[in-house]
Amino acid sequence: MSLQGAIAATRFGMGAKPGEIEAASSDPRGWLKAQIAPNAALVPADGLKDVQTAIRDQQEAYRGLFGPNGQALKPKEARQEAKEAKADAKEAKSDGDPKPQGDGAALLQARQMAQREIREGLLKEVDAKSKHAVETAAPFAERWARFWSNHFTVAARNMQLIPMVGPFEREAIRPHVFGNFATLLGASTFHPCMLTYLDAAKSFGPSTEAAQKRKVGLNENLAREILELHTMGVGSGYTQADIIEFAKALTGWTVGGPQTARMMFAGGQGQGAGLRPGFRRQERVSFQGGAAQMNAMIGATVFVEPLHEPGARTVVGKSYGGPAKTQAAMILDDLARSKATAHHIATKLVRHFVSDTPPPAAVAKIEAVFLRTGGNLADLARAVIDLDEAWGETQQKFKTPDELLVSAGRATGQEVAYGANQRGVYQALAQQPFNAPSPAGWPDDTASWSGADAIKKRLEWANAVSRRMVRGESPSDFLDRALGPVASARTRQAVARAETAEQGFTIALMSPEFQRR
Amino acid sequence: MASLHTLNRRSLLVAGCAVSLISVAPSARAATQQSGGKKLIVVILRGAMDGMSLLPKVDDPDIQAHRASLVDPKAIPLSGGFALHSAMPNLAAMYQAKEAAFVPAIAGPYRERSHFEAQDLLECGGIRSVSADGWLNRALQKAPAAYAAVSIGPSQPLIVRGAAKNITSWSPAVLPEASDDTLNRLMDLYDGDKVLKTSLTAAVGADMVAGEMKDGSSMANMAGGGRGGPQQYVTQLQAAGKFLAQADGPEIAVVSLDGWDTHAAQNQSLQQRFTALDAGLKSLKDTMGETWKKTALVAVSEFGRTARVNGAQGTDHGTGGTVILAGGGIKGGQVFGDWPGLKPAALFENRDLMPTTDARSVFKGLLRDQLGWAANDLDGMVFPDSKTARPETGLI
Repeated sequence: MSLQGAIAATRFGMGAKPGEIEAASSDPRGWLKAQIAPNAALVPADGLKDVQTAIRDQQEAYRGLFGPNGQALKPKEARQEAKEAKADAKEAKSDGDPKPQGDGAALLQARQMAQREIREGLLKEVDAKSKHAVETAAPFAERWARFWSNHFTVAARNMQLIPMVGPFEREAIRPHVFGNFATLLGASTFHPCMLTYLDAAKSFGPSTEAAQKRKVGLNENLAREILELHTMGVGSGYTQADIIEFAKALTGWTVGGPQTARMMFAGGQGQGAGLRPGFRRQERVSFQGGAAQMNAMIGATVFVEPLHEPGARTVVGKSYGGPAKTQAAMILDDLARSKATAHHIATKLVRHFVSDTPPPAAVAKIEAVFLRTGGNLADLARAVIDLDEAWGETQQKFKTPDELLVSAGRATGQEVAYGANQRGVYQALAQQPFNAPSPAGWPDDTASWSGADAIKKRLEWANAVSRRMVRGESPSDFLDRALGPVASARTRQAVARAETAEQGFTIALMSPEFQRR
Repeated sequence: MASLHTLNRRSLLVAGCAVSLISVAPSARAATQQSGGKKLIVVILRGAMDGMSLLPKVDDPDIQAHRASLVDPKAIPLSGGFALHSAMPNLAAMYQAKEAAFVPAIAGPYRERSHFEAQDLLECGGIRSVSADGWLNRALQKAPAAYAAVSIGPSQPLIVRGAAKNITSWSPAVLPEASDDTLNRLMDLYDGDKVLKTSLTAAVGADMVAGEMKDGSSMANMAGGGRGGPQQYVTQLQAAGKFLAQADGPEIAVVSLDGWDTHAAQNQSLQQRFTALDAGLKSLKDTMGETWKKTALVAVSEFGRTARVNGAQGTDHGTGGTVILAGGGIKGGQVFGDWPGLKPAALFENRDLMPTTDARSVFKGLLRDQLGWAANDLDGMVFPDSKTARPETGLI
């Protein structure tokens, strides 16, 4: 086992599986580069829904709850009944009466069941993702995909978004992480989940007839976050006016379904281009349709020209005329290739693979590759692997809870990052998958994850994992295959001298070297 | 190491880990006496709370034109033409009892509209560039007495990060605890690892206080509540109150309440959040008992929101926001600052409420008058280049 092999598996990978450090040791950089392939970051999608199916099923589940005896209630009436049922149930509980029966109660129950089903769908997504991360033989590809998934953060912050976040990562992020950055940016921006999460699906050209009739208008959230977080970065030269112009260019892009049909036909005959999630731009199909067609496009990304703010737009000093439906994509393409974007992305990558304080020389190297290759992400991955700064002996990166759990799962072979207890653990460690606190994603620095309370929770977690570890293995052997030459003499001694095997595992998991990468 | 095995948590505390445990080791400090039992609570409302929904200036002739659908028709009239959202009856009662006040049209020196940059600047106390330490941490380095602080929640916010180490953090345990022996061994292993040593030492200390809370039924709520959900507001504020109300508790608490970024359908969302915040303030007051009478709480967002409603019945990132002041230490029952008006020309960039009070002035006024900081430390080290933001007088 070589130190460089151990660094490849633990710092660039997701933590060593048994035998992995040996496998990486003879040619650590080659071992990593061999994982760079178009489909290397895909998660097996068995039993998981694509975004259109997920959205359709969700809406159907809600529709289905309206009739306990088969009667179809209008949504408003149903809501009212459910509300009353909830109040009844509460009252019955406080009075100690038996649970109320009847239409309202059945309705409430149906509603709760629908919600439970939707939440369980998310748990399935988390399980699939975590299981994949623990088992994959391409752990560098996995780390790379997770970096981009965090860069293009979406979060399951309400019932509408819960079914979409898993499909978003599988459809918009993972297929493109070794392709071109512009493609990845487009896939993310136009995915129904991102359009919903950052409110673009409900942003309408202010001067359109539909917007005026319905008294709705522009929402600048997506435009702002694309500029600030996904591409150029804050303070890189764009202005509030650029945000508004870009937001106008993005109007018309929304998610198909009955709601959009109602918007469209408030403003005249519908015309638009539809496209499937996970699309490539040349696949956009034009169609002329009515309300029925739009209803049928439930859950798909659609471009609805009557909702698009007409006219040319000027963003970051360049004017974009041309067909309405290409406007946003043209702007995105230019943003994807801008110097500010190259610098912003390079800084984040170096922070992730080298240090919380990215060395400018390393950033400059990655930035140059980004610009030279036009944002080719496979080339960028190879350049990151070739950064000598990333191979230093000192571990500079403190693992996030997610990294800690996955690496522990790979080392122990235990279900520590998925399965029945997954939810509580992620919650305690304050990093629930698909639940980043803001569009900026999870922080990537030591200070954010190493506070007193965080360490206490990690210790409690390590203690719980140790109790379930396979008996018969010595903690020292475990330490060796998890960390190899990365483990210090001091840590080896502390693990070897533990009073019980359980305590030895806890100390190994809590060792400074296992807490970092 | 053998001798360490025999130590329990309490003796470990007293034994050697003086760095962070100052805040909870009773013999080590008598700061509470030095502050005269006065307390300060800083609540960060992350995501930009819509101040004009909280505290609409209902007699402003332009408010209906800008945002008729966002003005709560049942808002509780206060004074000076202001009214308080009807989801906050407890806060209204505090205002009537002169235990709460407001500062509308407030902002820090930052004039852009990025949440993340604005929060960082709010917490580090800077004007343009973000420093690695927070203003509360720097203030503690210059404290007039041996003050200590507690930060509630699982992550360490920037406002308390920095060189001062008499700050601990706490959130409730949901997993089984490791044995004292394992703790001692890790303490030993972490010698020479500053990050892990400091945090584990502080965690052990905070746990002693938390031990007294484990019977609280609301803790179970927190364990079951999702990250950032409004139901956590109550638990977090209550936990802060418990820490501060102890005989030798810290002087300062920091609480972060997420989820105020209301771009769409904000009436529903704010109804929930205001209700939870109101319940949290009530619970904080009840928990603190007598200590509440000497407490000053400030709740602040990184910036305000647009004056006009947007197309999705929400509001976008703005500038002037509203600060809530509460506690028996506050000279309540009044609305501080100047109201700039809502005429298009009076708005900042014809878009946002024009700020008339600098948020740093409020922080400085509270630090000076509540806990006795020296004015020149506040102008220099704590809030660099802030001479023009004079400490707000008359808050306490």
